[in-house]
Amino acid sequence: MARHLSFTGFAWKNLRRRRLRTLLTLVGITMGIGAFVALVGFSRAFEHEWMRLYTSSGTDIAVVETNFMNTSLDESIGHQIGAVPDVAVAVPMIFNLLDLTPDVNALVYGWRADSYELDSLILLSGRRFRDGQPEVILGKNLADDLKKRSGDSLPIQGTNFTVTGVFHGGTALEEGAVIMPLDQLQTISSMQGKVTAFHVRLRPVPAGEAYDRYVKRAEAEIEAAVPGVHADPAADRAANNQLVALAHSVAWGTSSIALLIGILGIANTMAMSVFERTREIGILRALGWKGRHVILLILTEAAALGLAGGFLGIAAGWTALLVLSAMPQTASIVSASVAPLHLAESLLIAIAAGLVAGAYPAWRAARLSPVEALRYE
Amino acid sequence: MSSPLLEARGLVKSYDDGRIAALRGVDVRIEAGEYVTISGPSGSGKSTLLHMLGGLDLPTRGEVLFRGSPLGSAVDLDTYRSRQVGFIFQAFYLLPTLCAAENVQVAMLAMNERANHRAERAAALLEEMGLKDRMRHYPNELSAGERQRVAIARALANDPAILLADEPTGNLDTANTAHIMEILRGIREQRGMTLVIVTHEKEIASSAPRHIRIRDGRIEA
Ligand SMILES: Nc1ncnc2c1ncn2[C@@H]1O[C@H](COP(=O)(O)OP(=O)(O)O)[C@@H](O)[C@H]1O
Ligand SMILES: [Mg+2]
Repeated sequence: MARHLSFTGFAWKNLRRRRLRTLLTLVGITMGIGAFVALVGFSRAFEHEWMRLYTSSGTDIAVVETNFMNTSLDESIGHQIGAVPDVAVAVPMIFNLLDLTPDVNALVYGWRADSYELDSLILLSGRRFRDGQPEVILGKNLADDLKKRSGDSLPIQGTNFTVTGVFHGGTALEEGAVIMPLDQLQTISSMQGKVTAFHVRLRPVPAGEAYDRYVKRAEAEIEAAVPGVHADPAADRAANNQLVALAHSVAWGTSSIALLIGILGIANTMAMSVFERTREIGILRALGWKGRHVILLILTEAAALGLAGGFLGIAAGWTALLVLSAMPQTASIVSASVAPLHLAESLLIAIAAGLVAGAYPAWRAARLSPVEALRYE
Repeated sequence: MSSPLLEARGLVKSYDDGRIAALRGVDVRIEAGEYVTISGPSGSGKSTLLHMLGGLDLPTRGEVLFRGSPLGSAVDLDTYRSRQVGFIFQAFYLLPTLCAAENVQVAMLAMNERANHRAERAAALLEEMGLKDRMRHYPNELSAGERQRVAIARALANDPAILLADEPTGNLDTANTAHIMEILRGIREQRGMTLVIVTHEKEIASSAPRHIRIRDGRIEA
């Protein structure tokens, strides 16, 4: 029996006719989607890890400076926060990103030796650091990268620290981090008496009150009790974190540019293809095709390019994430897993990119006068 | 008196803002089932007239009535072309990326026909054209005569009331010309279709019961 010709089959044949051009167009959109999958996937994984950093240690609220430009608070306000009725404990902390060696930079945390945050870490060897001593503990991944073990010494910003322990953290971020006494980090980063934030654990949620409402109420209490501070739910704090925000904007910025190039590639290809097929479009019109059928055909071709680029881009982006997660410099913050929702979103963006790119050529094609198109040489 | 199948009234068609007058006032009536040939010198407006009759374009002035209703207002041009008209061209105008069977089906894609039905109908029409073993062939694998037969099958795909052929044998040798003319006349007799052929071949022009001569965009008495 004869084969059926469908709209999509017809579109497919049209795309196959100029294989090289179709392939080159696919490279463009593949790179756009690949960048989106890899970069945005990376920045989201980063945010997720950051969020787990709070949740794994049981932090409910982070208290920071209101003014975005001024990133430090006075350590002395800790007792004011601690005095708020619903606050069980408020611990000061500093985090910073420091160069440890020319190749390795790491998150450095300054905590007090008695901070509850240390309780969520599992010491694999050695012991915790003591306040007032040049001592650090290292996350497992970082210790492996630096080839350091308990008892080794580690110079940081000109000070010789002793590695007192290696720990296994709850998150990839912690696995790649250095933790030292708060006072030591204040000294080496010239932040005497200053902290980045207070992490707050609340008292148990009162019976009958929802957790979210309780946190909101506690935030208001803290902000009222201590002027000039901002209390954030720990989960939001992850999203508002400057590093996370930077990662997001770099990821979206770069992949938007890559996507735009991919879209322009499809648009250019479809415009050329419509131009070359002027006579054929006239023939289709003579056969009774309405303008909207022509639009449908061109958009199907453009969307097919987008969709194919979407699948290839997902493969490329995922591969990039796998490579990054295997490289020592980035392993601590890149996880190789990609959320299914992110993949679905990438495919939708790919198809939308095709449709956007095809819209103008399709409209042009539909507007051709049938007679003029037929006479076209 | 009832309306004819097709009627052109005072057709004027000019191009380039009136600098070129392709038709300068043409009146024609064509009854259902009629066989009409149109001839005239090159550039006299034959193709333009055929395009107006087939709803490919609207006249600058005047109107074409299909069963008494004006094209472009009461009758939608796209719908008219897809349901009532089959075009056949001198250069065949097959789509190079599609095989014979697909070229016929492409005319039915714009209709709400079931895919199975489209394929079956295309196969039946090609068989009728004597192309049973050419269905999977692409246009560049077919002879000129075979291509024109595929184009005729395509023109018949939506079972139109009118077949409009613009120099259908202009690219064919004598044997193929005779074959194609035999097929076209056979179709008209068997299906009762209205057949309008533009030609510059005297033999073909005079083979029809009615022969219209056109010169400088006007019908000659
Ligand atoms: N789309 C167009 N634009 C400009 N001139 C046209 C167009 N179509 C036809 N013409 C002109 O109109 C005249 C009649 O053309 P046509 O109907 O194709 O003649 P025929 O088919 O009798 O050879 C010619 O002078 C031709 O150049
Ligand atoms: Mg002509």
